[in-house]
Amino acid sequence: MNLLARIQRPLGFMTLLWLGVGLWMVFQAPLDFQQGNSVRILYAHVTSAKMSLFCYILLTITSITYLIKKSETADIISEATVPVGAAFTAVTLASGSIWGKPMWGTWWAWDARLTSMLVLLIIYMGLMALRSSLDEPLKAARATAILAIIGAVDLPIIHYSVVWWRTLHQPASFGGSSGNPSIGGDLLPPLLVMAIAFIFLGAYLVVVKAQEIAALRKLEALDIERMEQDD
Amino acid sequence: MLKAAYRIAWKDMVGDLRRRSSLSSMLFFSIAVLVVFQAAFEPDRQAAVKLLPGLVWATMLFTSLMGLGRVFQAEEENGAFEGLLLASVPRGIIFLGKWMGNLLLTLLVQAMILPLTMILFNVDAWHVIHHIFGVLVLGILGLTGLGVLLAAMTQAARSRETLLALLLLPLVAPLLIAGVQATAGVMEVDGQPWPWIKLLLIFDTVYLALAPWGFSWLVEE
Repeated sequence: MNLLARIQRPLGFMTLLWLGVGLWMVFQAPLDFQQGNSVRILYAHVTSAKMSLFCYILLTITSITYLIKKSETADIISEATVPVGAAFTAVTLASGSIWGKPMWGTWWAWDARLTSMLVLLIIYMGLMALRSSLDEPLKAARATAILAIIGAVDLPIIHYSVVWWRTLHQPASFGGSSGNPSIGGDLLPPLLVMAIAFIFLGAYLVVVKAQEIAALRKLEALDIERMEQDD
Repeated sequence: MLKAAYRIAWKDMVGDLRRRSSLSSMLFFSIAVLVVFQAAFEPDRQAAVKLLPGLVWATMLFTSLMGLGRVFQAEEENGAFEGLLLASVPRGIIFLGKWMGNLLLTLLVQAMILPLTMILFNVDAWHVIHHIFGVLVLGILGLTGLGVLLAAMTQAARSRETLLALLLLPLVAPLLIAGVQATAGVMEVDGQPWPWIKLLLIFDTVYLALAPWGFSWLVEE
């Protein structure tokens, strides 16, 4: 926990720095000749989509670590990662919708990626709901860790089943969204800088949240100790 | 070893048949869901044929949620879960027993509901009803496997039935997609159910391998 407190401030500065440079580059980048200004949304959209998956990978690692090593730090980081991942997923869906309305002419389509992202968001919500509705901290930690691992196994199955469903059943609604659209050379540097900025942002948020959770747990332990002394 | 699992499954089944708690409530709930669908969509004969796969699977999913919510209820009410865990068999076997009990119950309900659905919606697919049921069984295997694990996870939680639905529904999305497509595939003359049946089998294998393991981690002292 000491380590977290020490890296919090540097992480915050790095986030600000990279985000500042990244945003400046985003607004310097040339406009897409078809998409106009709305292409700029994608710099935040693509990066938060990557972060939402990245958070889930981190969550899986800390969950496995918790189950094997029973280390409380791993559990605290798991608990801190879930809301951050959920936030990135929500940002991905919202920014995608805002971009989709002028580009596709619709807020939402049941395309493979959109559907998997929505399911990911519900899984994040489920993880939060499960932890908050179990009173015993040890049980809550174990149950959420197992659920996170089940989710990690399920997510690829969900993704591929939706891809198959959308391709076998009806042609993909939007050609560009299911393939891998190539990105022009001028657009790549700002995207990379934004990606680094978002990694710092994610790490910073997890660190802040983890310290909050650690402090809350300490407080609760002190509370129990005091009540025992009163008796 | 497996005998212990059969015993647990048998105890759950007999207990439930005597009290008729889960079985009858699941049956009547299914019928209520069918009435809701009929009122909501009012399909004519042709529409009903197209609607049937989704209808069968949606009804099955909602009904099984009801049964899953009660898997550990008897143990919870009487504080008998710790006693069950004290049994000198691996935890995976206890899971297997609870799973088989719920599986049998769900299969029994579905065996009654499927013909009823076809009668109520006037769908003439009697010549493939065994295929439809077969696909349904494949889905129920994995669904109950994952469902019993999640039921164990949420049994001590506040508002556990809502929580169970919230956790289970997104995770079984692939099962629902594959099941509906496979059912539609066996109902059409030149349908192609095989890719979807394979997906169902993958799902079943993954969850039936994962769930006993998850259960033994969950109830560890």
